[in-house]
Amino acid sequence: MIVFNQVNKFYGDFQVLKDINLTINQGEVVVVIGPSGSGKSTLLRCINHLETISDGTLTVNGISVGDKKTDINKLRRNIGMVFQHFYLYPHKTVLENITLAPMKVLGQSEKEAKDTARQYLEKVGILDKAESYPSQLSGGQQQRVAIARGLAMKPEIMLFDEPTSALDPEMIGEVLDVMKTLAREGMTMVVVTHEMGFAREVADRIVFMDAGRILEEAVPAEFYENPREERARLFLSRILNH
Amino acid sequence: MLDFSILTTNMDSFLEGLKITIIASLIALLGSFILGTLLAVMRISPFKPLNWLGTAYVEFIRNIPVLVIVFFAYLAGNFGGMTAGTIGLTIYTAAFIAEAIRAGIMSVPKGQMEAARSTGLTYGQAMRIVILPQAIKIVIPPLGNQFINLVKNSSLLAVVAGGDLMYQGDLISAKTYVTFDTYVFVALFYLILTIPLSLGVGYLEKRLARSN
Ligand SMILES: Nc1ncnc2c1ncn2[C@@H]1O[C@H](COP(=O)(O)OP(=O)(O)OP(=O)(O)O)[C@@H](O)[C@H]1O
Ligand SMILES: [Mg+2]
Repeated sequence: MIVFNQVNKFYGDFQVLKDINLTINQGEVVVVIGPSGSGKSTLLRCINHLETISDGTLTVNGISVGDKKTDINKLRRNIGMVFQHFYLYPHKTVLENITLAPMKVLGQSEKEAKDTARQYLEKVGILDKAESYPSQLSGGQQQRVAIARGLAMKPEIMLFDEPTSALDPEMIGEVLDVMKTLAREGMTMVVVTHEMGFAREVADRIVFMDAGRILEEAVPAEFYENPREERARLFLSRILNH
Repeated sequence: MLDFSILTTNMDSFLEGLKITIIASLIALLGSFILGTLLAVMRISPFKPLNWLGTAYVEFIRNIPVLVIVFFAYLAGNFGGMTAGTIGLTIYTAAFIAEAIRAGIMSVPKGQMEAARSTGLTYGQAMRIVILPQAIKIVIPPLGNQFINLVKNSSLLAVVAGGDLMYQGDLISAKTYVTFDTYVFVALFYLILTIPLSLGVGYLEKRLARSN
């Protein structure tokens, strides 16, 4: 479904991604971990073309992401994204945040879009906040709205870039629970997170990155108990002791 | 003491001038707001030629005296003084408004555009629906200041016989030879316009600061 083939990416002289080969199948949940600056966000952002790859090929459902002929807006309908800092539209209500793209991009009627939005708000457990503005919500609630906003486009793929890193500890669980539900329902998910509990529970694979390279790919149990790479071992001991 | 008979006997002229000053300022404000928004979007557009054009406009126009621009507008077309003056003011003010709006757009977090684009919205849709409404809030106070400048700069209409307040002042002083007093009244009329505007901008600034 998502296939990186010998992907490299440069910022000027600096190489952020090095020889990335990675295949993510439909329904898979892949957790990406690695030290700060290792290229995790960049990897994720290439998938929906927020970043452009420098060489190699990257396809989503067989469609080449960087290709000039590819209708990127059409591709993005199928890929939801959740950011560390939510990025809800502050001048719009929760409901408007969610209905915007379905109405403007998919051409849904307002009623249809609102019905769908309410359905997803219920799913993430904050239907009662439909008419609130983002600033009136807690971080955890905002992030759940952001997930609902992504889901409202009914994408096949959801990307999460450290969705709980900006949250107070007591709110992390409510967001992870929503994500776990999604994972169990068969959503294809690529998640940058250091939440080990989440990874162990629902991830099919852990991808460990360091300095722009994928150093290790393994199932969670194997990775956490017995990482092959020295770098991964070091990294794990650091996040565990902190 | 001020000679108030200048004011009373020429009240119609003063009011006519005031009216034209207000109309020219409002039209120029609207025009330069639209043109300025367009220029601002051009300046931040990822499309290089547009980018270049927007930058060229702003840099050229900002660095030419507004008086020269008003003259050019007058000479370039077959317009009356008021129209030419208003066009000149619009062209000039648009460059400043463009910069204010650009700064407003830049102050909206980059993630807002990315979040909007990642749901499949086009650049134009994201700009119009997500970014600009947020930018405008930040831009309102500087825009208000531009409007005050606009009202003051509209006195340049006088040099192309635009019929504005300053122009009426010129006529009255030429007619009565009471130069100083006439221009004191002209100044007072400008203050009637600019002081409430200035207070309004200050109020908006405070309110917007609180809502953030
Ligand atoms: N626009 C950019 N221009 C230049 N360098 C960049 C740019 N964006 C990211 N980088 C660099 O690329 C590297 C990888 O960045 P990336 O954000 O993908 O890392 P990350 O693994 O997500 O890190 P973190 O855990 O801190 O989020 C970093 O060294 C970063 O400084
Ligand atoms: Mg990152």
